[in-house]
Amino acid sequence: MIRQVLTLIVAFVGGFLAVGGWIWAPQISRMMPSFSSATSSAGSGGAWFADANRLGRPEVAPVVRSCIFRVVDVGPDAAKMEPSAGYFILKAGSMQASVAALVGKPGLRSDNQTVFLAIKWGELASCIYAQDDRELCDSDSRAAMVEATTKFFAFAKQAEALKPPIPADEARVIENLGDKLLGALKNHRRYGTLVAADFSSFAAPEIMRIMREEKETRDICKR
Amino acid sequence: MNFLMRAAFVLGGIFLGINLINYFVLGHTGDYLPGGQRMGEWKEAKIREACYPALESPERDELLPKLTSNQHRVDWRELNRAKEMTAALNCYLVTHPNAVCERNNRAYIVDYISRYFAKFDEMIEVAKRYGDSEMSTVKNLWDSPRNRAINAALIQDTSNGRLIKADFGWTVPAAMKPLLDRYKGTTDNCPRA
Repeated sequence: MIRQVLTLIVAFVGGFLAVGGWIWAPQISRMMPSFSSATSSAGSGGAWFADANRLGRPEVAPVVRSCIFRVVDVGPDAAKMEPSAGYFILKAGSMQASVAALVGKPGLRSDNQTVFLAIKWGELASCIYAQDDRELCDSDSRAAMVEATTKFFAFAKQAEALKPPIPADEARVIENLGDKLLGALKNHRRYGTLVAADFSSFAAPEIMRIMREEKETRDICKR
Repeated sequence: MNFLMRAAFVLGGIFLGINLINYFVLGHTGDYLPGGQRMGEWKEAKIREACYPALESPERDELLPKLTSNQHRVDWRELNRAKEMTAALNCYLVTHPNAVCERNNRAYIVDYISRYFAKFDEMIEVAKRYGDSEMSTVKNLWDSPRNRAINAALIQDTSNGRLIKADFGWTVPAAMKPLLDRYKGTTDNCPRA
């Protein structure tokens, strides 16, 4: 009986994949060129197959609690608002920008929005890195750090490719944030708080280079 | 014969798939509750609309769940859901104590009770990862005056037979089992029309 039920389930799922694959495969393959940048800026930025114990839920991370309202200005409501809601606002803005870029219909303010989001994610990542290094031993905080860093570099790359180019002062802000974050990434790679597997394969090449080239010298999370 | 077997196989797969989608994706768990004299159609429940005002601005209700500590890992969406579900169930069971006597309302309320306890279990399961302090934060969250009123109403409704084990079918919430077992066989005291 169980075998028959399982066979039915497998048949249904298999049929769905076969028919769905036949119908949707061309669209999926057409989306692929923009897929990599979209996933790294719309998704969490963490590796899909990362150890679940290493990457937790970024929205509830203690570091986000300390940093989010320094980055997302919600006015006097900040006192009443949960930090996870502030994080959601930033993430929702990023998703909207990524979807607009993916479908090739950027909004009127999309150029500004890309720069704005790059700066916001960069500021959040900087604030997270400025906390005590051991804070990042927490899986939620580590996930927040991975997501903020990945999104900063994804939006920075998009901003760099904009035509006409973004104003020099904004480009400098993004560049400074990038340098700062790369330095922090190196440190955390050495401290053992970050490993290459924490980042998805779609992460920016700068991040992956550091993860590959730097070696762990000690594990600050070990007590 | 071979053709009939294949056709039955395909139709069975479609039937199963539709039901899996209905239950797990659309969340129409009420469709799978037992029928019979006691249970009506959850979609027809009038109590649902009657309680919309209770859900309009739950933030104004000081008796609804709230977090007692700033150091927690509860996502704001979970927090809002806990508030909404408590406000709704409080309205179904406490504000309108006789609503559960009507067949359609009973089907809807029974389904909602299962969802309410499922949400609590889900949040406790997440809190377990963070240790005792987080568990106690979540337990305190679900112990507001409104939650306590709901618990009292559930004891009342099971003790007087307005809710029985058979109403829940195969999805009896673990928290309700001892209550339903204790008052097994009680006939309901609903006002007869």
